[in-house]
Amino acid sequence: MFCFNCGCRLSEKNFCTGCGADVGLYKKIMYTANRFYNEALDKAKVRDLSGAVVSLRQCIKLDKNHIDARNLLGLIYFERGEVVAALSEWVMSKNIRSEKNIADDYIDAIQNNPGRLEAYNQTIKKYNMALTYCQQDSLDLAVIQLKKVVSMNSRFVQARQLLALLYINSQDLERAKKELDRALSIDANNTMTLRYLKEVEEMTPTDEERIRKKKEAIVYRSGNDTVIQPVGKKEMVGLQTLINIIIGVAIGVGIAWFLVLPSKIQQAQTEVNEKYKEVSEQLDAKTLETEELTTQINELIQEKDSLSSSLSEAQGNKVLLQAYTDLIEAVLMRMNKTGDEMQIADMLEQIDKKYLQDEATDSFKNLYQALRDDISKVVAKNSYNTGYAAFRAEDYDTAIKNLERAYQYDPSNGEALYNLGNSYNKKGDTSKAAEIYEQVVALFPNTEKARKSQNYIRQIKGE
Amino acid sequence: MIDFEEELKKFHPSLEVEDVEDAIYNQDVTDLADVLVKLVKEAKEEYGDDGLAEG
Repeated sequence: MFCFNCGCRLSEKNFCTGCGADVGLYKKIMYTANRFYNEALDKAKVRDLSGAVVSLRQCIKLDKNHIDARNLLGLIYFERGEVVAALSEWVMSKNIRSEKNIADDYIDAIQNNPGRLEAYNQTIKKYNMALTYCQQDSLDLAVIQLKKVVSMNSRFVQARQLLALLYINSQDLERAKKELDRALSIDANNTMTLRYLKEVEEMTPTDEERIRKKKEAIVYRSGNDTVIQPVGKKEMVGLQTLINIIIGVAIGVGIAWFLVLPSKIQQAQTEVNEKYKEVSEQLDAKTLETEELTTQINELIQEKDSLSSSLSEAQGNKVLLQAYTDLIEAVLMRMNKTGDEMQIADMLEQIDKKYLQDEATDSFKNLYQALRDDISKVVAKNSYNTGYAAFRAEDYDTAIKNLERAYQYDPSNGEALYNLGNSYNKKGDTSKAAEIYEQVVALFPNTEKARKSQNYIRQIKGE
Repeated sequence: MIDFEEELKKFHPSLEVEDVEDAIYNQDVTDLADVLVKLVKEAKEEYGDDGLAEG
């Protein structure tokens, strides 16, 4: 033991022989620390690791430089599977005394085997993961993780305790007890382990309860197997079979409902979707095609309209040209005396009446009318003579043609109109004949022709 | 009867190897001997060597 003031080795006196400092209290602290250490050592020897840890922590609180206490504490931590805590203590111990320290060996033993250190670390990570699962209420996953942990590091007391707690929670008392027994074999006086063990024992059915349950069952051997059949089940065989069948059917229907049916529905939906997609694509293609055709139709209609318009224009031009040609020829015929009045009349009649009425210019109309007036007397006379001769000769078509022309060129010629009616009448076209006769009655009243016409009208109408 | 939720709270995550450095640095290393030395030092500063001897 050394003086806290000057570092001299202390004697049995309560003061330092080097600096004279009062070390009585200091020595008492050191002695107490040693006593805690000895106590921890005794506890560790009988595997009361938890008790040893408590004593060693007390010792270190009194004397932080207690190398043996730190080394032993690290050793106990390591024994309980808490590798990091162990390393921490040994490193601090080595820091206090770097030479002739057994902590060196412990640290080397771990550091020289990185694979083992990594395995310890993985164990700790899995334990922490299991704890997280517990907090998230995923207890099954936690049990799986903890099983891995204890298989990798069988001395991990905390993991075994947590695993036992989970087994107790799930009423798996046998496994809980097994885990607690193993935890107890490592740390014999751990309060938590003992408390859990007591709880498990309280929850475990007593022997009397087991015997009573056993009595309720019939035990017999079938070959190498021991069959335990509960009493009172025999009478229920028929009913039980029926119930089993019903349950089986229910399960079958359930499977069909929850597994097969959704799958079928899904498949049908997929097929419908594919069909729908296919039809949609076809519809789109058809719509596109229709649009293209509509566009083409519209273009063709426009082209047709354009061509019709061009055609109409061309036809209009043709009519105009023909009208001018006919009129010019008729005029030339008159001027050059190359044709008689009848030929000129034929030429004038070839001019399109519609054009003459609607489109012809005033000069065209004037020229036409002048030429027509010039030949009208001769044409009217000749046509009447020809027409009347034809009428007499019963050539009514010729008569009608010439008499019509005669009346056109000379509207005062009532004979021409009357004989025109007669020609139609003789030809058998009575309705036309009646129409002509009515004109005669209207235009030439109080004449012999009017009276005769009236008679013919009566005859035709059957009065 | 064990209350599972309450018992679960007693379990804490174990330190991983990566945390060992922090664990060492963050450890409270003050012991009773340090407290005593500090007290003696403070008394000396307040009363001097004579005062301490008289006390």
